[in-house]
Amino acid sequence: MERENRFWRVILLALPLAVFAAFVIWPLADSFHYSFTNWNGFNPDFDYVGFDNFLKIHSDKLFLNAAINTALWIVAAIVVPTGLGLGLALLIDSRIPGGSVFKSIFYLPICLSAVVVGQIWVWIYQPDWGLLNTVVEAVSGESFNYAWLAKPDSALWSVILAWSWQQTGLSMVIFLAGLTTIPEELLEVCEIEGARALQRIRLVVIPLLTPATVVVIALNVINSLKGFDILYTMTGGGPFNSSDTLAMHMYNESFKKYLMGYGSAISVVLFLIALTIVRLYFRQLRKVDELHG
Amino acid sequence: MITLNRRGALAALAVAPALLLGAPAFAQGGDVTLTHYFTGEFGLKLFNEQVAKFEADTGHTIKNSPIGHEDFKTDILVRAAGDSLPDVFSYWAGARTQFVVDAGSLHPIDDMWARDGLDSVVAKSVADSATMYNGKRYLVPFNYHYAGMFYNTQVLADAGVSEMPTDWDGFMALCETLKAAGVTPIALGSKYRWPAQFWFDYLLLNTAGPDYRAALMDGSAAYDDAEVKAAMAMWRELADKGYFAPNANADTWTDASDKVARGDAAMTLMGTWITGYWNGLGLEPGKDYDFFPFPSIADGLPGSVVGPVDGLVVSNDGENRAGAEAFLSYMMSSADVQASWTSGYGALSANVNVDPANYNEVMQRVSTVVAGADVFAFNYDLATPPPVAEVGLSMFSRFMDDPSQVDDILAQAAADAAQAFTE
Amino acid sequence: MADAACLPAPARRFNPWPAVIFIALAVLALLFLAPTAGVLLSSIKTTRDIALGQLWTIPSELFWGNYAEVLGNPAVHRYFLNTALVTAPATVASIALGSLAGYVFAKLPFRGSNLLFLVIVSGMFFPPQVILIPLFRLFNAMDLIDTLYPIIVIHTAMGIPICTLLMRNFFATVPNALREAAILEGANEWQVLTRVALPLSLPALAVLATLQFTWIWNDFLWPLIFTQSDEKRTIMLGIVNLQGQYSVAWGVQGSLSLIASLPTLVVFLFFQRYFIKGMTMGAVKG
Repeated sequence: MERENRFWRVILLALPLAVFAAFVIWPLADSFHYSFTNWNGFNPDFDYVGFDNFLKIHSDKLFLNAAINTALWIVAAIVVPTGLGLGLALLIDSRIPGGSVFKSIFYLPICLSAVVVGQIWVWIYQPDWGLLNTVVEAVSGESFNYAWLAKPDSALWSVILAWSWQQTGLSMVIFLAGLTTIPEELLEVCEIEGARALQRIRLVVIPLLTPATVVVIALNVINSLKGFDILYTMTGGGPFNSSDTLAMHMYNESFKKYLMGYGSAISVVLFLIALTIVRLYFRQLRKVDELHG
Repeated sequence: MITLNRRGALAALAVAPALLLGAPAFAQGGDVTLTHYFTGEFGLKLFNEQVAKFEADTGHTIKNSPIGHEDFKTDILVRAAGDSLPDVFSYWAGARTQFVVDAGSLHPIDDMWARDGLDSVVAKSVADSATMYNGKRYLVPFNYHYAGMFYNTQVLADAGVSEMPTDWDGFMALCETLKAAGVTPIALGSKYRWPAQFWFDYLLLNTAGPDYRAALMDGSAAYDDAEVKAAMAMWRELADKGYFAPNANADTWTDASDKVARGDAAMTLMGTWITGYWNGLGLEPGKDYDFFPFPSIADGLPGSVVGPVDGLVVSNDGENRAGAEAFLSYMMSSADVQASWTSGYGALSANVNVDPANYNEVMQRVSTVVAGADVFAFNYDLATPPPVAEVGLSMFSRFMDDPSQVDDILAQAAADAAQAFTE
Repeated sequence: MADAACLPAPARRFNPWPAVIFIALAVLALLFLAPTAGVLLSSIKTTRDIALGQLWTIPSELFWGNYAEVLGNPAVHRYFLNTALVTAPATVASIALGSLAGYVFAKLPFRGSNLLFLVIVSGMFFPPQVILIPLFRLFNAMDLIDTLYPIIVIHTAMGIPICTLLMRNFFATVPNALREAAILEGANEWQVLTRVALPLSLPALAVLATLQFTWIWNDFLWPLIFTQSDEKRTIMLGIVNLQGQYSVAWGVQGSLSLIASLPTLVVFLFFQRYFIKGMTMGAVKG
């Protein structure tokens, strides 16, 4: 039996592992080795410089700023779409008319390309005639021209809001799917006990949605790394690097300053951070599993 | 049964990669491969028309690969790293081309240049500044641009301005007049940073002179020198007096141009491509908009003009070198190509055989200004190495965000630039 | 979808909740639609109108020129075809490979399989720009530049982590008893996977199909790097290339991107009916 299992493991894993190794792992390793060089991307010649690039990270103020922004971005990309998506799913699931229309409306933004979503949000935040400031002016009756994307204090958060807008629908549909798994009997028990709606959501629904939540969080974390395109369109990491993420910083160093070696070092660090996060995630997951038997 | 299935599974394993990877190659012989950044609805169509002329006249065929401006930089770098540059690509003359030449990615075109007599075709001032790197010729100047003060004629007329300033006092007086008339004098769209560089370029060139600026660009002068501080102080005065429209960092250069076109602001310091943009929106050169050169400031300095040169270069990786050289030669020497490209695109031609009458009236006067200048200088991000340019460009947008921090900003830039020059 | 709702408990006795919820959803929907409406508005205006700051006003007359220009452009048709030729096989292949690997991790764990799984899942967490240059060299050596194959292969490979993760978690919820019964009846693992596990995993397959299709369809980095001639370009590159060196055709870009989003919307509307039932993707027991 074990021999049989071993055979099937090899057969089933061979193709996925081969493809993954050849087109993800190998290129990553190849790219990482440049982190020990001073390669500029154009020149065929370069020198090995040991750990210089990694030491440079230490004194790179932009790196620290980008690392903090990345952490903020990932946390926000988990919390906001997950919370909003859950709320929307609960509302839509509550037997109101037009549920499927609402579902499609909230899902729609995912279908749009990042470049266009970025541009449209630039127009929303535009200080003079943008939608947001126009509404603020209409409500407050005072002239208002705050430049959301041009101020270091608000640039990152403004992009995160746009990003959350685009991603919420995804969390919502997964939660909606999760909600269908909650057995009818449990709900009737709720009715008998007469628990209030909010309490019931907290004590019964949310725990039962744990499996869906696990998926939603994983998807949101993965997605947060795809946020590069929208950030690139909306601020390009600006103003003056204040909304840089590590991915953007790595891109700037590699492709704008032509410091491929240093850019590779940044991506090695980014990868190590990711590895740690994934391990933490799995550890949490195992705890959840144990709780649920 | 299991054996049979094992065999089936093994067969599937063997076939799948073949299906995925065993694809036919798409090699095409004889084409000249070309990658360029002349994209957008209008630019690409116009460029393709010129390529068609080359194909019809020479029998060569072009395999054309247009890529949007920013993505172009990534694409060229990746292809250079993969030793797979196209036969010909467009590139910005100056420090960027120098960088690629130093990396050994380009093929010199001295032979072609001499054979096809380009010395008698290309204007000497442009040829001297843009085509030679490390003692050899690498680039033909397909077109070039000039940065000047472009303004809304109606707005200035309404404010009672009839004479354009030629010196700094005159310029400050103009700004004051406009402001008093309730118009924002200057629009600047520095969201992507580079539009701010023309201010730095002209202020420095017209106070400290081209020699000092060249020293700053190559690292032998520093950003906290008195010369830079003086130039920045003038820039700051403009900002402090409220002559710039607020939130420069929120706008792109087209946003700033739109402000001028709408009449929300009077003028913007921008390259001649703005004429192409405005013409596309239906504005009429000379009637709706016009320009004046950046005012001179200190006496006794050579008159400088600033702008970029869009070049075409031949790569070392390419397979069709003869076709590549023929393409460069044709696109440069054909007065017809040069005239229709530059006049449609809002650019200037370095081809001396192009009759300025092809230009619209504003561009005709631009070409006179450029011809009369002592020095043609590349704009900042083409004049200094790319890692340093990143430092300076960030410095400009930080300055526009809060001009009162200018001392800190310069100290920071001096340190960062010194570091970047060592890389 | 609404049969298992827990929320509006008191609704059956007295009735303010459905109305309140409906109004709340309607308001949120309006907020959500505003940006999309902006894209729509940009697509029915001329570039000149947008440049003059007229984007957010309701137009007095509709300008259909952008749509006419996009739909009548043969290059756009080719972009669509190329995008479909990339997206469909890469979606199918990544899900297929993820199912194979996910099945092993869920049902045939071995010493070190958790570590291997961790490595695969971590493979999602880097910016793709990191591997641009090595991959370009690889496909260049294979003489596959300017074909669609590299894009298909890379999207397949980059999709393996998410597909493996979701499929593994889903397979873990398929009762082991089912597998054992099938094996006792003489089935092998391949048959268990294809005839027992996969049919039970329709919800996960549907979610992955939707996600992968949308992501691959909307990607532009890989087509940018691996295609060169216009005949090989995909729709996202078409959108990006409307941004010229010195201008952007906003109206055309807006209309093209709305048209380009239709296939992903259709895919979602088609697959979402399978999202239901049994999305119990917990169980990461190893």
